Amino acid sequence: MPDRTGKVLPIIHQAPLPLDRLILTEPPDAEAVPMDVLFVGGGPAGLAGAIALARLVKADNAAGGDLGDVQIGVLEKAGALGEHSLSGAVVNPNAIRSLFPELTDKDFPFRAPVAGERVYYLTDSRAVRIPTPPTMQNHGFFIASLCEIVRWLGEKAEGLGVNIFTGFPASSLLAEGQRVTGVRTAPSGLSRNGEQGSAYTPPTDITAQITVLAEGTRGTLSQAYLEWQKISSDNPQIFALGVKEIWETLKPLDAVVHTLGWPLPKDCFGGSFMYPLTRNLVALGLVVGLDYKRSSDDVHEMLQRMKLHPLFREILESGEMVEWGAKTIPEGGYYALPKKRHGDGVMIIGDSAGFVEVASLKGVHYAMQSGMFAARAAFDALKRKDTSAAALKEYDAMVDGSFIASDLRKRRNMRLTFQRDNFYVAGLKAGIMTVTGGALLGGKIESHADADVSRDVKPPEPFTPDGKLTFSKLDAVFKSGNATRDDIPSHLIVGPDITPVVADLYSHMCPAGVYERDGDRLVVSPANCIDCKATDVLGPRWTPREGGSGPKYRQM
Amino acid sequence: MKIAVCVKRVPDMDVRFRIATDNVSVDEAGLKFDINDFDAWAVEAALQLRDKNAGSEVTVISLGPDVVQETIRKALSMGVDRGIQLKTDKVPFDGLAIAKTLSEELKAGSYDLIFFGKMSPDTSNGVVGPMTAELLGLPCVTAISSLEIADGKGTAKRELEGAQEIVEFPLPAVLTVDEGLNTARLPSLKGIMAAKKKPLEVKPAQIPAPQLTVRKLELPSERKAGRVVGEGAAAVPELVKLLQTEAKVL
Amino acid sequence: MANVFAFVETRGADVRKVGLEAVTAARQIADKFNSEVHALLLGPPGIAAKAAQLGQHGADVVIVVEHAALGNYNPEVATATAADRIKSGGYRVAVFSTSAQGRDLAPRVAARVGASVVTDVLTVDAEGDSIVVRHPMNIGKVIATIAIDGSPAVIAMRPNVIAPAQNARAGRVENAQPAIDPASARVKVIETKQGGGGKLDLAEAPVVIAGGRGLKAAENFKLVEDLASAFGNAAVGATRAVTDDGWRPHADQIGQTGRLVSPELYIAVGISGAVQHLAGMRTSKTIVAINKDKDAPIFKVADYGIVGDVFEVVPALTEAVREARKHH
Repeated sequence: MPDRTGKVLPIIHQAPLPLDRLILTEPPDAEAVPMDVLFVGGGPAGLAGAIALARLVKADNAAGGDLGDVQIGVLEKAGALGEHSLSGAVVNPNAIRSLFPELTDKDFPFRAPVAGERVYYLTDSRAVRIPTPPTMQNHGFFIASLCEIVRWLGEKAEGLGVNIFTGFPASSLLAEGQRVTGVRTAPSGLSRNGEQGSAYTPPTDITAQITVLAEGTRGTLSQAYLEWQKISSDNPQIFALGVKEIWETLKPLDAVVHTLGWPLPKDCFGGSFMYPLTRNLVALGLVVGLDYKRSSDDVHEMLQRMKLHPLFREILESGEMVEWGAKTIPEGGYYALPKKRHGDGVMIIGDSAGFVEVASLKGVHYAMQSGMFAARAAFDALKRKDTSAAALKEYDAMVDGSFIASDLRKRRNMRLTFQRDNFYVAGLKAGIMTVTGGALLGGKIESHADADVSRDVKPPEPFTPDGKLTFSKLDAVFKSGNATRDDIPSHLIVGPDITPVVADLYSHMCPAGVYERDGDRLVVSPANCIDCKATDVLGPRWTPREGGSGPKYRQM
Repeated sequence: MKIAVCVKRVPDMDVRFRIATDNVSVDEAGLKFDINDFDAWAVEAALQLRDKNAGSEVTVISLGPDVVQETIRKALSMGVDRGIQLKTDKVPFDGLAIAKTLSEELKAGSYDLIFFGKMSPDTSNGVVGPMTAELLGLPCVTAISSLEIADGKGTAKRELEGAQEIVEFPLPAVLTVDEGLNTARLPSLKGIMAAKKKPLEVKPAQIPAPQLTVRKLELPSERKAGRVVGEGAAAVPELVKLLQTEAKVL
Repeated sequence: MANVFAFVETRGADVRKVGLEAVTAARQIADKFNSEVHALLLGPPGIAAKAAQLGQHGADVVIVVEHAALGNYNPEVATATAADRIKSGGYRVAVFSTSAQGRDLAPRVAARVGASVVTDVLTVDAEGDSIVVRHPMNIGKVIATIAIDGSPAVIAMRPNVIAPAQNARAGRVENAQPAIDPASARVKVIETKQGGGGKLDLAEAPVVIAGGRGLKAAENFKLVEDLASAFGNAAVGATRAVTDDGWRPHADQIGQTGRLVSPELYIAVGISGAVQHLAGMRTSKTIVAINKDKDAPIFKVADYGIVGDVFEVVPALTEAVREARKHH
């Protein structure tokens, strides 16, 4: 078949970001709900920001300040806090400690301190233990479920009087001139062809003096704002896709385990993790750069194959997979940070700004810390009654002067070298960069957006899940708790010229089985979508949809 | 019209439950809680009546520890006017003890209508509504799937096995709500804001000694592998026999 | 004397199967106490003729209350009559059924006599001073063992867990009057639509018949509906594939994004058994699968399977079920 050979370039088939829908330069509805500061996204960044701001305001009022009642809002698309939150996770506790100086580590919603760690290089049958690279040393950090952290932060925020609106995705930024004035939420209760059903809820406008975009990875409004203001980064942001499972096991796992090598092809960037949440509750996952080189590369399937390796099989066999999820991770690092992460009436924090350090696999503490910086900047701006870009640039200065920027800068080229060199050369260079704190091989490496990387068209290797240790995508999506209405309108914008080859690419790219190829046709099942955003990186554009749709993670 | 709705906070059922170490309760770690669906429909029914009858007021009442305030707030954010928490650390399984506690509170409110969900999925007993009606001496219609109120009396439809019943009743009355009566509204953003300012009264609950004691909880045994009875229509008589004698479902 | 009371459900001039089950359950309990079963039979004139049947199932005494206004269930009359009898009879246990009627009646009577009540009872036993029952919680995902202290212990049996059994006793008839005048009831039934019109909810129905792609076309759901109507107490469900194709409304979908059901009997017609469907029905008590593909995963969870063409097997099954149900 001629279309089974050659190359496919994702960007050609990708629809542009629908800026006209995402940025509305119109006055808010007369019935708009007024907030002073609105955090768009109830993850670690948005909630830490809301908590920090509420405390600053409270302290100021107690000291006789003149701010008075400051309405702080957190808008979250998931039906409940934490349901769309997913991370490894081994968490550096520095940010949560400084957010709650009055609490101790045992008060925090962590599962356990890291007791031991091992790194392996895998072949298809063997596991060779290698020394733990300095960047991956996790002593002093904590194993945690991000869902649990987020729910805990939510309770703290509510206790401080923060307005938490769950089930309300922000679907557009409202703007007046260049100034962000708030957001409009997505409507709910529409039928597949857009008719208003009995449960129809119209969009609501929320105004704010300051809107803080904390949408998480591949934030839609964040992308739109950066594109609109032309302040995107020098290097394009690049992403990895992580697919994660939680298992109840009969055999305990005693240490944090990371692996490199198999089942990833040599020209793929990525690796796996396996963490003990409790003795017999194990989180494991596989993270693969979305600049992979073959149309048939399939992260979900690689994870399934990986579990057949003795290293994993020994722990998982006879256990039960209780939860499944997936999420992209911004991996571009230092050079992919937006030129500005603030503007008139707006700041961008957390994963939406790209605050992830890939060599150490960390982002949660950067997200929280950036939220806390944004809170300080918002507080100062409110005090000065000036929420312009000039006032909010204090936020960028705080980030740039902090461990967030210095950590990312130290490892600025580690991920990028993997786009240029093969695994071994890149691994060697990464080692040199680590040892020298990035001083050697520190020149900026240009990178490509993932969608600009062309893929060799390859037929997939057949794989049949056994339903016990390995699972199909449909079975997996079921374990994500996804109960999205079947008759929801599609939130995915499919681009032009979708050939069978492109349909194949999409079906392998998406871990949740949203895309299938049926003959020559691309079949889209939007209700399967679990908001990992891989589709937005390589395929059809993701846009906000009815609140409460998507996964319902519990301990991811 | 004065309307009361009794609501319960229940865990999401779409999980594998674990039994807590005390053996008599479900391990709540990792469970998500929300208002019982049947109760949400009851709230919706009350709100629709209030909106049609000027000067009406809807009160929600929930029995339990402080976490039930979340459930009450949810109802308030849907549009309910005020909330009452009957505070207790632990809600017993015993429906009569619960009904007695609720009826003491309801008695004082002189409500025209008192709504309950017809059951909650956690205890799956479905008795508190009609028991409360009895204790209050009020007419009661259970499991309604349609409702009209006019001129001080009501008309409701009940779904029975293979039949439907239309009943008439005088006010005041107790009604329990089945699926199909309505679709509950989601709280609006404005509703969530407004709910913060609505009154939520906390009163200590006086729960009488229960007559029921949960001795233990266990998970049902796993399915054992089944068998193929035969091929084609010829296997039907054997199947019917097994359904009657072995499975006892026919 | 620790006698046991049983409320016998009727429909028109007939005793329902659950009524015989209540008497059978009461007999089993009374046998532990060496005591008597007193069955209350409420109905229209002529219902007394059924007393003998109750005697055969183990009733020592049948209290017959006939009244022209009792052709349909009247909650207030039934509550008052049952409560008066339970109070005056000093019973140790009162047995009801967890049917639509029993769910309405048992808690009212219990409250009236100052007792608590457990519904949906799977098993009942006497242990020391307590009556101990098993009761499903959390949509059947957890089973509770509950001790009932005090007397009477009021329970409502789950339908179909105890088969009506012959265990003949005297069945001595006592005629009685309704405890209140039916005309005085505050809640009045003004219309009853029997049969057909009643939509059984999937989650509540004791029997669920579900159809999948194997039915090939929307119109072939007639086969499934016919089988459901032969059962009389069955609801019709469907797989996601079928609702996605618009053959059935989405409300009928059982599985991952649809309804969770745990009926007594689940019959899967032309359903392959994808895990996302199994998730919605695997807690069913008895599962029957009819599918032409002998390797279909549905057979792994089915208690009983028939490998064959649904267009041939289902009509035959419908006929056989209709025949079997005639005797109830």
